[in-house]
Amino acid sequence: MNVQHVSLWLLGAMLILYSVHTHGLRRCQVSVDTRHIEESFQEIKRAIQAKDIFQNVTILSTSEALQSIKPSDVCCMTKNVLAFYVDRVFKDHQEPNPRVLRKISSIANSFLYMQKALQRCQEQKRCHCRQEATNATKIIHDNYDQLEVRSAAVKSLGELDVFLAWIDKNNQETSTA
Amino acid sequence: MLLRLVVSLAALLSLRLGSGAHGKTPGPGSALSTPAPLGCVGRQTRLRSVLNSPLKFCIPREPHLAGPLGRGAPITSSVPGWGSPFWQDWVSGSPFVEVEEADGEWGVDREYSVNGSCYNSSHQHHPCPWGWALPALVLTPFSPGTELPGPPSVWFEAEFFHHVIHWMPIQNQSKNTYYEVAIMRYGKELWKTIPNCSQTLAQSCDLTTVTLDLYHSNGYRAKVRAVDGIQHSNWTLASTRFSRDEVTLTVGSVKLEMQNGFIFGTIQPPRPKMAPVGDTYESIFSHFREYEVAIRKVPGNYTFTNEKVNHESFSLPISGEVGEFCVRVKPSVGSRINKAAWSKEECIVLTKQQYFTVTNLSMFFAFLVLLCGALAYCLTLHLYVQRRGKLPAVLVFEKPNPIIPISQLPCPETEDTIHPLDEEAFPKVFPELRNSDLHGSTDSGFGSTKPSLQTEEPQFLLPVLHPQASGTLEKGESPELGDSCSNGSSNSTDSGICLQEPSLSSSTGPTWEQQVGSDSQGQDDSGIGLVQNSERQPRDTQGGSALTHVSPLGPEVPGEEDTAMAAFQGYLKQIRCTEEKAIKAGCLEEESPLTDGLGPKFRTCLDAEAGWPPPALAKGYLKQDLPGMTLAPSETISGQWNQPLEEWPLLGLTSCGDLGTSDWSFAHDLAPLDCVAAPSGLLGSFNADLVTLPLMSSLHSNE
Repeated sequence: MNVQHVSLWLLGAMLILYSVHTHGLRRCQVSVDTRHIEESFQEIKRAIQAKDIFQNVTILSTSEALQSIKPSDVCCMTKNVLAFYVDRVFKDHQEPNPRVLRKISSIANSFLYMQKALQRCQEQKRCHCRQEATNATKIIHDNYDQLEVRSAAVKSLGELDVFLAWIDKNNQETSTA
Repeated sequence: MLLRLVVSLAALLSLRLGSGAHGKTPGPGSALSTPAPLGCVGRQTRLRSVLNSPLKFCIPREPHLAGPLGRGAPITSSVPGWGSPFWQDWVSGSPFVEVEEADGEWGVDREYSVNGSCYNSSHQHHPCPWGWALPALVLTPFSPGTELPGPPSVWFEAEFFHHVIHWMPIQNQSKNTYYEVAIMRYGKELWKTIPNCSQTLAQSCDLTTVTLDLYHSNGYRAKVRAVDGIQHSNWTLASTRFSRDEVTLTVGSVKLEMQNGFIFGTIQPPRPKMAPVGDTYESIFSHFREYEVAIRKVPGNYTFTNEKVNHESFSLPISGEVGEFCVRVKPSVGSRINKAAWSKEECIVLTKQQYFTVTNLSMFFAFLVLLCGALAYCLTLHLYVQRRGKLPAVLVFEKPNPIIPISQLPCPETEDTIHPLDEEAFPKVFPELRNSDLHGSTDSGFGSTKPSLQTEEPQFLLPVLHPQASGTLEKGESPELGDSCSNGSSNSTDSGICLQEPSLSSSTGPTWEQQVGSDSQGQDDSGIGLVQNSERQPRDTQGGSALTHVSPLGPEVPGEEDTAMAAFQGYLKQIRCTEEKAIKAGCLEEESPLTDGLGPKFRTCLDAEAGWPPPALAKGYLKQDLPGMTLAPSETISGQWNQPLEEWPLLGLTSCGDLGTSDWSFAHDLAPLDCVAAPSGLLGSFNADLVTLPLMSSLHSNE
């Protein structure tokens, strides 16, 4: 009886470990130190957010965009928003202040690194984009288009803390899951 | 003709005056052309309000409103605080009128009325309420805020669920100046004015109650403007969006206590009353909470050790120091970039270590109780063991005579009188023994005519006694023995056992088998008991012979008893002493070869036992229970008789016997035993064979 019990326990433990492993594999975890990006942003936050004059408009904070994303869509959404920033926001923004420009450049480089990490997940078919994620991405782009380009870019840069907080929250949830 | 000119001039003048009163004169060609409105994007456009920037929207120009000159209709607004309506000129021919608000802002809740027609910011035309159906009035431009400056800066100072907005006052504020605060949750489109903050001359306002979900949202935007009467300034926005990144971390309290040379601290996170039920410091900042602890000794300064603890408790080693120590704590969250503030310092006074604390005293008493219990247990065990091991009174031997040498004291000794053995007597013994008739007998000397022998020999165990000899001995012994006893011979190697009754001799015959058997169990008793059994067996013979020898040697006191008791008079009291056995064994071993006579060797043995003055011989019992033992000396003797006999046999006999006597004399306890049992050299080679007995007699006869 003892041998049977031991073998059953071992089998159960192996199954649990396997499931956890596969569950972890299914999710693409991006191990990025967002603290570095947050520190860079804090130094330019005042300068950038002061330029944002459209106070009751938001690009990322709408309820349809980031707040309603399910955990399974986190990878796709993160990838899309990173592409949005790298392809549109950083290119559209014209920063005259060199100190601010340097910080923005470091943030952009960190985003590029995150994009490459997510690229690996996508190649392993672990970053599938569902319709909800695609719709949320479209809303963000539409919000961006509602405003003038320069104003939209400034506003998007001012909302970087929203994006970083969202990444942190999802990373914590992934690590605790 | 003149009348037509005057009327046309009057009309022109009136028009001129009218336009001049309103400040603007339409262009001559304005009524004809219809230029596109500036900034109008269409009737359906819903423009978002923008703070501090002119908002333009277009009011559709009603056809009936168009005048001859195309001037715009006056516009009224439902915005509170407006002093008077302003006048807006129509662009002649334009289907829309461009309205520009110089100050303030447009909002979705604002309505504009143009000649009775009302418009809101959505530009949907709807009929005005009845109250608005008033003839259009000329609105004069009104810009009250341009004169009153707005607050230079607005910022937040926030702690955990204590969010306070601050602003700098304007320079020319009067006693009636108050400030309006409006906040908006980022992402929503509604600004909310906080009425509680509109206190006169206030420079801060607590916005905690309206920002309770700060930690679950993306932040708030806030703005402040100064208001003085009807004048209000421009809005001044807070420079950054107010989010939880701007919350300064604090601790609630720190408790210190002293324990065993350590200061133990407990950190209590902040517990604000305004916080909702589920929002605690630990739940919002759930991971990577750290605390930096700094300590100083009064009156020194803080040493920043930069040591952080990951829990809400810490311990600081303070060994052997006394005085007042102050501690303060600064929290932080590893994954966040929030600023932090040091806590209020908590101080504790350290005195000398208290040894007599409750804990120490209780432990001490518990230890004492355990120790006493253990001691009691050991004592009980010891006493109990002692009692169990206590010998019966019968077997307790009396203390020996103090004359006895100390070297011999380890052995229990009797209180019998000890007759010291005279060394000089030994040489006498041997020649006497040679010459005596006893040579012919297996008798070791019992029953010899020589009193000395008789006195001596009875003390020895003579295992080789021949029954006949024993019989002869019997006869010869008793009187002599009795004489010897009565004489109380001085040259006594006598152990002191004397048979004072002749009748005893006759009773020597009895086997002491019984006693042998009974005493062969290893008692201290020599085991020689006289029994009135005349039956003699070979084994018994020896014993009997011994007995015969012994019997007269019975102690004087028992000799006086009746015959029934006479059997017991033959006991040769012998005190078993293993040590002396060993000693004797060694001694005897030396003499086992028995070359030149026992005497010298014996003497050497005796000398070996140097320092032994001839002690008093104890009245000991010779243990005679083992025939082997008894035979041992006989074997020796037999062996020795093969050699030059004249010297040997008796030597052999007396070796044991003399040894016995010597033992008696010196050790007074073991001699025969030693002879019998211990002398390994002697005994080991012996055969418990009674056949040797006749050999001895033959040898005797040879002599």
